[in-house]
Amino acid sequence: MRTDGFNDKDFAKLIQRTLLAGVFLSLFLLFLGFGLSLAGSPHGGGLLKAGVLALLLTPAARVGMLIYGYWRGGEKYFALASFAVLGLLAVSLLV
Amino acid sequence: MIEFTAFNSSLLLLFGVFIGLLGSALGVGGGIFMVPFLVLALKLPIHQAVAASLVAIVATSSAVAAVNVERGLANIRLGITLEVTTALGSIAGALIASRVPGATVQLLFALMLFPVSVLMFLKGRGSLKKAAAQVLPAAKGASSFDSGFFDPALAAHTHYQVRNMAPASVVSFFAGSLSGLLGIGGGVVQVPVMNLLCGVPMKAAAATSNFIIGVSAAASAYVYFRKGLIPFELTAVIVVGVLLGSFLGIYALYKARSEKLQVIFSALTLLIAVKMLVEAL
Repeated sequence: MRTDGFNDKDFAKLIQRTLLAGVFLSLFLLFLGFGLSLAGSPHGGGLLKAGVLALLLTPAARVGMLIYGYWRGGEKYFALASFAVLGLLAVSLLV
Repeated sequence: MIEFTAFNSSLLLLFGVFIGLLGSALGVGGGIFMVPFLVLALKLPIHQAVAASLVAIVATSSAVAAVNVERGLANIRLGITLEVTTALGSIAGALIASRVPGATVQLLFALMLFPVSVLMFLKGRGSLKKAAAQVLPAAKGASSFDSGFFDPALAAHTHYQVRNMAPASVVSFFAGSLSGLLGIGGGVVQVPVMNLLCGVPMKAAAATSNFIIGVSAAASAYVYFRKGLIPFELTAVIVVGVLLGSFLGIYALYKARSEKLQVIFSALTLLIAVKMLVEAL
């Protein structure tokens, strides 16, 4: 259990909110994209792509929050593991 | 490429809802059904089907994990540690997939479905739970991976110790490779491994696996994105369906999660395996 006022429950809430924010942002962009596509706007396709990309970046944002949470809680091993995962995600964008 | 008629879009949306429900009810990403559907029913090239499936897995995982983390079911410390080797495997798998012909990927997919079907059947019959009780020796001491959760079915707090992290990390690499290569989440490997090898109770193993597969599927999906293999319009329709199905499943089907479903879907998986094998040969 953490002692700096940022307990496991707060940490779980932070992760939950990050995941839900990514999912709802993605849904918002996708619905907007479908709406514009149906209305014949040329921007519809771009928004659909943005919606899918927002979703794909959600796990990376979640890992970013894990680094923050574990670092703040003094759990350096798990902060480092999270950092390694974020590094691997960055690598997968480059290969 | 499929035509986006109202019928096709509705079909894709409904299938997405089905996959989302499945993800919530069975704790799987749905790739084992998504890829065959896109290849066999919609005649999508398998590389694109794998890419679309990976994005759908990210959707299911993100939606379901958000709730599992809050419920304390997902073991985040265990998840992030296994994610290191799983992500590494996912990148390797996606890179291999982009270099081999579609027919080979389809053949590998079909062959992989046979053991998956058996695993689902055993899980449905409760055999894995019994095996875990017999196989695992008592843990030597406490570790920072140990955790617990409140089990509503037992109306009690279940505490568990985690062991065998080193071999589990190695197996996770192969689970990640399968994910990147074939567009499945890898939960079919991760869940039994965490249960049998690490001693994690089935519910926590399924939740933690769901947490892990979001990252492994994203790592592979980035590779497919860079190679221009994600069919965005089709994927967008499926993702909306998957998210709707996932949220519906989380709140409506949570208590209806049934081991009988596993047995039914193991039979369906076997049928799909045969069909995929026949098409690939």
